[in-house]
Amino acid sequence: MKKVFFIISLIYSVACAAQINTNLLMSNMPPATMIDWEVKKETITFVIINQTGAVLRVLVKAELKTSDGAIVATTDLSRAEVMTVGPAGLVLSAKDVVPLDVMVFNGRFRTSLEKTGKLPSGGYELCVQLVTPADFRPASAVRCRSFTIAGFQLPIPTMPVHEQLIDLEKARTTITFRWTPVVPRPNAPVRYRLIVFEILEKQTPMQALRSNQPLLTTDIVGTTQYIWQHQLPFGFLPVHENINESSVDSTYIINGRNAYGFIWTLQTFDQLGRPFGDGNINGDGVSEPNIFFIDRRREPLNRTKTPARIIYNIQ
Amino acid sequence: MRGLLIKLTSILLVGSFAILLSKVEAQVTPVAGKRNGYRINTSGTMGVSYEHYGLITNPDGWSGFTPRKPWNQVRFNFSPRMQFGENFSLPFNINFATTPTSSLGPYSGIRKQSFGQFITNPMNSFGLNPKYKWAELQLGTQYLNYSDLSTGDIGVFGGGFDLRPGTFLFKFFTGLSQQGINFFTGPPQTNGAYQRNHWMASVGKAKEGKYELALNFVKGRDDINSVDSVPANIKPQEGFTMSIVGKGYFNDGWYFSAEGARSIYTKDLLLPKDSSRVSFKPFIEGRTSTVRDYAADASIGKKSRNFDIGAKLKFIGAGFQTPGYPFMMPDRLDYTLNTRFNAWKDSTGNYKMNVVASVGQRVNNVSKTTQRAKQFIGNINWFTQFDEHWNLNVSFNNFGFQAPGGLNPFGIKNVSNDFGISPSYTWNNEKMVHLFTLTYNYSNYDERDVITGNITSNNTHMALLSYIPTFLLKEIAPDFSIMYFLNKLPAFRMTLITLSSGLSWSALKKKMNLRGQLQYTYSKTNAFKNNNNLIVSASSDWRISERVTWNVFLSSNYFRYGNEIIPNNANYLESNVRTGLQYRFGN
Repeated sequence: MKKVFFIISLIYSVACAAQINTNLLMSNMPPATMIDWEVKKETITFVIINQTGAVLRVLVKAELKTSDGAIVATTDLSRAEVMTVGPAGLVLSAKDVVPLDVMVFNGRFRTSLEKTGKLPSGGYELCVQLVTPADFRPASAVRCRSFTIAGFQLPIPTMPVHEQLIDLEKARTTITFRWTPVVPRPNAPVRYRLIVFEILEKQTPMQALRSNQPLLTTDIVGTTQYIWQHQLPFGFLPVHENINESSVDSTYIINGRNAYGFIWTLQTFDQLGRPFGDGNINGDGVSEPNIFFIDRRREPLNRTKTPARIIYNIQ
Repeated sequence: MRGLLIKLTSILLVGSFAILLSKVEAQVTPVAGKRNGYRINTSGTMGVSYEHYGLITNPDGWSGFTPRKPWNQVRFNFSPRMQFGENFSLPFNINFATTPTSSLGPYSGIRKQSFGQFITNPMNSFGLNPKYKWAELQLGTQYLNYSDLSTGDIGVFGGGFDLRPGTFLFKFFTGLSQQGINFFTGPPQTNGAYQRNHWMASVGKAKEGKYELALNFVKGRDDINSVDSVPANIKPQEGFTMSIVGKGYFNDGWYFSAEGARSIYTKDLLLPKDSSRVSFKPFIEGRTSTVRDYAADASIGKKSRNFDIGAKLKFIGAGFQTPGYPFMMPDRLDYTLNTRFNAWKDSTGNYKMNVVASVGQRVNNVSKTTQRAKQFIGNINWFTQFDEHWNLNVSFNNFGFQAPGGLNPFGIKNVSNDFGISPSYTWNNEKMVHLFTLTYNYSNYDERDVITGNITSNNTHMALLSYIPTFLLKEIAPDFSIMYFLNKLPAFRMTLITLSSGLSWSALKKKMNLRGQLQYTYSKTNAFKNNNNLIVSASSDWRISERVTWNVFLSSNYFRYGNEIIPNNANYLESNVRTGLQYRFGN
């Protein structure tokens, strides 16, 4: 009797498999951060076409391997959610195909995921198959797609150097910005949005970044340098406010008083205009900002000592 | 509970404000008052300023230049500090503006704010810090810096305390850094954000200028139910960071500081709990999106009048994230060595030479989850005062960035070299001091194409001559400069020539400082017709009375393109008017 049941089940499974078509579409370079897979909907699309005419209940079995065949993760089918596929079929995304709470990761991949949330860079293959809920028998053909994890890192502002004090005369017409490129280089060119904010008196740099209207917002493609012709009316301190007549130590740079302060950052976008924020804490592709100052003290007073401290004078 | 806290804090702020206003009347006399046996002193400032921005583009409707300030903005500040006797002080820090202008972060694009959003908008601060001896109550907006790896960047609106009995310290603060903001398609688009609650605490022992040892705890958690809609890329998050920090300062100028921190961070609170992920109950419970990692920094060095040396090391693990520094970039190791020294004594015992230098390296992707990239930074600034007439400043800055090719035939290799030399000549007579400065800067930036291996060199030359005469017997101070700037790279050449002159002078027996500036720039790109730019600005600071100052600033920027853009001869006129009154409390 058991044999008969087994044979009937097998025939049913094969018949179902023949009548359930699936298609796995996957980005060839998904984000390294796995929770971003569900945000970027194009990362995984798994299409189920049900030609049986009946409503089917299935599980999605996924197996993630490295390109040399080592198992990275598999679905724990005992905890997987049962999917109901009607005659109209079903389209699934990453959160259904590789749900992080159901996938069981192995070895160093588990360590990496727990520590960083990322898969290590390299070549991978994802294989997906539908199985029956009760006994996990195949209900569709196995679909596999290869992909590469690049693990991009956002650009880092480099020039002006963090907390650099620039002579007013040198910055009167232009200020040159440089930054590191996205690493490794993506297949399609990225767009760097250079954003510069003035730090007003009684503001901290982060306040300025989070609340001010930027003085400069410009998009740059293909290079990591921008020469800003700012057209700002920079001026020395009025003669009687020069620092030697002030009660403040001349080695102090006080934002909004003897220096103009600025905070600048880059927001990176992919070729479709979406924030390029692989693993970026806020998901907005914004890099850690830098600060610089334009010295309003007249020469040669501004050269006598290195500024010992920067004061944001927020009160 | 949190709403109640905000209401209580607001009531306390308003109440204190009312008390202060009742005192101000009594404090307008320059001498401190004495009431009920207490000596009351008030210092600090308050004021209001208005700023107008105008932009006219030609042809009408041309969008080649976008406004860079709000059309109208009014800012208020109210920062008095009341001192009651020797032991009790009541400082206020109230700053706010009428028009929200955020373009980055949670408040980006917001135009109409609720009262709660206005109060917690990073543009505005409403803070009150009453202090009695060693006990400080912190109310309203506070920018608290506990340490470099725990919290320090974010303004939080709420309540807490900072107690320092003897050499002990106990700190606690809780509040909101952002209100819930719904996504709005715009224009302008509002990104939206979850309400973020913060808790922070610190326990330790410290003696100012001697040592500090503290344990810090910081937690941030988004309220999932605080908004109706946010974009898919914004996830509710939760983070908990613990750190231990130690600092020591010694009599001979030596110092050290070190901090070690561990973070547990949930990137998406909507994902289910996962017992296999790290937890630290009751502060944070692991979910499938929870990561944990470490960070550390250390510095050691010596500071003295004529010689400083210091070394710094900073490691941020790939999974390290803390709610107190929302833009901190993880997965890196930085180390730098800095020095400053004075040398070459003159006959009066003063040093003629000052050198400041630093060298360091930053390694990105330390976790090896991806390609490792290295960044080298070195710079030196060398100033020498040869005699009473001549001085020379030389600077050099090198920056290199390298990453292996990976999938590309060539690796990334960007190298930047900047060299500057600037001699100055000063001479004077009984009436005037003349200062001539010549500056030359050469900047080279090489970028390698990772597909072809070709290197693009971007070269910049800048020459600047400035003349600053100082009239010893007159109240005027003019300055003049001319600058030539050339930027060249293959098939591109841009030239700029800038003429600039400023004049500042004192009037009304030094009660009024006036300043005017005129600047013209000629610019030309390749064979296109040249562009012209004229900037005019004027400012006045008038001390109307002992306590009241009136500031006015006017500027205008006219830019006219040649034919490098379409439409040809497009131009714009930017204008800016700022005026404000400042009242100074106390003596």
